[in-house]
Amino acid sequence: MAEPYRIVILGGGTAGWMCASGLAGLLAAADYDITLIESDEIGTVGVGEATLPHIKSFNDMLGIDEAEFMRATRGTIKLGIEFADWLRPGARYIHPFGTFGDRWASADFQHHWARARLAGTDNRSLQDYSFAVAAARANGFEHPNTDPKSIRSTYSYAYHFDAGLYAAYLRAWATARGIRRLEGKVVDVRRDAQSGDVERLTLASGAEVAGDLFIDCSGFRSLLLGQTMGVPWLDWSAWLPCDRALAVPCASVEPLTPYTRATAQRGGWTWRIPLQHRIGNGYVFSSTFCGEEEARRTLLGALDGEALDEPRLLRFQAGRRAAGWAGNVVAVGLASGFLEPLESTSIFLIQAATTDLAALMPRCGERADPRMVREFNRLFEIHHDRIRDFLVFHYTANERIGEPLWDHVRTMPLPDSLAHKLALFRESAVAPDYKLGLFSRDSWLSVLEGQGVLPSAASPLTHRLPAADLQARLDDLAERIAVNAADMTPHADFIAGYCAAGTAIRPAASVA
Amino acid sequence: MSGARDITLVGRDAPLWLAAAALRRALAPAGVTVRAVELPAEAGTADLYATLPAIEALHAQIGIDEAALLRGARGAFTLGQNFVDASGAGRPSFLHSYGAYGTGINGGDFFPHWVKARHYGLGVGLDDFSLTASAALGGRLFFPDTDSEVYGRSDYGYHLPAAAYAKSLKAIARHLGVELFEAASVAVERGGEGVAALRLDDGRRVESALFADLTCERLLSSGPFEAWDTPGDRVLSAVAPRPAALPAYAEIRASAGGWTGLFPSLTHIHIEHVFSHASTTDEAALRAAQSIAGLSLDAVTIRPFAAGVAAEPWTDNVIALGDAACVFDPAHGFALHALQLCIVHLLAAYPADGAGYAARRAEYNRVLRSHFARVAEFQAAHHALQRYSGAFWDSARALPMPDELAHRIDLFTARGELPPLEDESLPPDSWRALLVGHGILPQSWRPAADRLPPDEVKAHFRKMLGFVREAVLRQPTHDACLARILQPAHG
Repeated sequence: MAEPYRIVILGGGTAGWMCASGLAGLLAAADYDITLIESDEIGTVGVGEATLPHIKSFNDMLGIDEAEFMRATRGTIKLGIEFADWLRPGARYIHPFGTFGDRWASADFQHHWARARLAGTDNRSLQDYSFAVAAARANGFEHPNTDPKSIRSTYSYAYHFDAGLYAAYLRAWATARGIRRLEGKVVDVRRDAQSGDVERLTLASGAEVAGDLFIDCSGFRSLLLGQTMGVPWLDWSAWLPCDRALAVPCASVEPLTPYTRATAQRGGWTWRIPLQHRIGNGYVFSSTFCGEEEARRTLLGALDGEALDEPRLLRFQAGRRAAGWAGNVVAVGLASGFLEPLESTSIFLIQAATTDLAALMPRCGERADPRMVREFNRLFEIHHDRIRDFLVFHYTANERIGEPLWDHVRTMPLPDSLAHKLALFRESAVAPDYKLGLFSRDSWLSVLEGQGVLPSAASPLTHRLPAADLQARLDDLAERIAVNAADMTPHADFIAGYCAAGTAIRPAASVA
Repeated sequence: MSGARDITLVGRDAPLWLAAAALRRALAPAGVTVRAVELPAEAGTADLYATLPAIEALHAQIGIDEAALLRGARGAFTLGQNFVDASGAGRPSFLHSYGAYGTGINGGDFFPHWVKARHYGLGVGLDDFSLTASAALGGRLFFPDTDSEVYGRSDYGYHLPAAAYAKSLKAIARHLGVELFEAASVAVERGGEGVAALRLDDGRRVESALFADLTCERLLSSGPFEAWDTPGDRVLSAVAPRPAALPAYAEIRASAGGWTGLFPSLTHIHIEHVFSHASTTDEAALRAAQSIAGLSLDAVTIRPFAAGVAAEPWTDNVIALGDAACVFDPAHGFALHALQLCIVHLLAAYPADGAGYAARRAEYNRVLRSHFARVAEFQAAHHALQRYSGAFWDSARALPMPDELAHRIDLFTARGELPPLEDESLPPDSWRALLVGHGILPQSWRPAADRLPPDEVKAHFRKMLGFVREAVLRQPTHDACLARILQPAHG
């Protein structure tokens, strides 16, 4: 039998261990030999404690038991993100992991909503037509109903967890399945003089690790893709000016909210992520518009509970590498790009890179095939560029007039693709709807309305529903949502009964 | 300016009435007036539309009954197109059918397992794993049921004689309330923002907020039309007697000077023969068509065609639909598909309300251009990958290849994967049929397929092949099915 293909992952942390586990779950064990090198001396960034619903399919693919994983990572449920003060102080909305209404008479729901609103017969917000929003506001959670006719089937969910514990959980999972872990710092990278491919890494101990493919999970340093292969960095700070984050945990408070909160501040925004044992907090800010001391005061002043640590500072720049795969080096995680955690996209990008890479992975005896490298990089660009537009949009549509950061982002020139999306929605209620990359039409809708971008016309197809019929349907939908959300199990009770840390491990409750 | 509460369509034959009926049906509740200015018909006895399965949804939206349609148009079903080498190059034939290949294995796709098995000596081609392809090649139709839907998609299109189809659609459009204007010719009055009015030859003047151009001569359109290179530029149409047993698919036979399509309808085989005027005279083309079809041809007409796309299908207040927006090479029967894409996207963007429609117009142009490009790539792949003999096919192979297509072929060749793309209206199995049919066996497959033991995969394959064989045997022949439909409906 042929020698297995050697994959070397540089860096532990969330990216390294998600990538190692994902490859172990998607590749045939006999054909690939996977080694991960990490150093206890190098800390991990460990932000990104909030996730998107896609992570459930990743864990399912690995066969991970949900309750056990939540218990191990002090996990809680996330039904969406609440954006507070983004449009203007006092305004708030939730970007839910769920749908807004139904498609009626061949027209998407927002057209019917817009028609009734423009006719003056309905003054509800789109938010009132999302079960996930109502459940989040009620601080409730149950697993979604599997009957698609039930209003309780119209949402999905993600998790808040301790990313360090998640990495540790996956490390145990992966090493139990034959992934080799080496401890040590890389001191030298040797490349093939002709091809430029990386041949081996030398550790501080003198040990050498040879490989066929190297996966760079070294974080911001981008040791292999950036430093060794010299793949240039694309700077997006013209659109996303935040370049610092201060992070600090605080004590838990009641109620246990099933959503992340992002609150706009003078120099950026603060996050609030409730875990089982603490609340993760942070302030993402622009050093051009806000000093560190001011950021520290703002962050500490916004805490709901007692601070459990000193605020820790991170420096970054929004952007990505020109390519995610060059030669025989693939970067996953922060080594490939950085987008602020406004929409919890970091862990999704690790997952996407891992699954794309698994499908395009060379086999024993092959070199990295440029045809597959091109496809990986095409998908890498689509993922990053679409997230960028969505993030930029949160900033640009604001009414925080007189605050320098917010004045800047409101008036800066937009990417053409984004400007067209906004004009189209304003003119016709047609919302962005693409197949590839993150953020569905419903995601866009929540932020469009929340940021005050409202349609001035609806699709003519809506008139296939008589006006009286429409209002009756809207009323019925809003009522079904309100009634069902009101009797959801409180999130705190769900966690206590399902996956509280420190409780004995028992089989997951069956999902009705 | 308030919304566009009226639209006037200019065109002829089935495309005019299909568009008028669809727009009227969808927009009447919003109070939109739909007018159709009908130019003299051009569809003759020999002309026929081969449709893709997607047309069924448009028919359903208009409220067209399938049996009544086939009765009225004397049409037939089609499960796909069989591509046959009659050029002497010795290429194997392949069927582009409208069904899925195989069924998923343990939640994973079928195709990578098939690719792997081929590398390890599997002798069974894709068609035996397809309900639709197996039925077509076995002389039967395939109508999906609950079990077959679980296995995989099995769709069908139609062969619709153009003149009779137009007549049925015109009656439906009139019934739905489309206002009819017959005209021998129209003159276009332009204003500040596009077309102000049409002057008909009888002196009537038709004003409208919006106009739709469905004419192949692009009577109302003003912007540039970007030509696409195709190996052929003339198409001969004819009819021949039908055989005793009606095939349930079309056959496209490549010969040295072009290709000959045989499209069964209820009463005839309709013939299309495409060639290039540079190398073949009309007389020689007729002789070739006759010889390749092996049938005596009747009602012969020959017309030029020029494939291409409008740079901006919606300019000012004039919306190009169908041929005015995009003309595909006739090889795959995409003419009504182009029209359907236009209609669907016009309905999504129709500006019945609002102060202006600049963004909706930009969106229509953006989305349609992207959709058209994907479909054109399918045809470009056919031209680039075929290995038929003759000058016609040599020139087809020399045509330029778009970068997106080169990447799609590269990735498929390397790994058997199709890059996911926006605005792709053809299903992945159509692409697999085409690429595998032209001789590409992917060099490798998704490594995830290697996680399953080969014996387990073999067992799955055996089960699939058995299911397909049995399901096909339960299906009716094409003739039996058409005979049933031709009985007038009872209660």
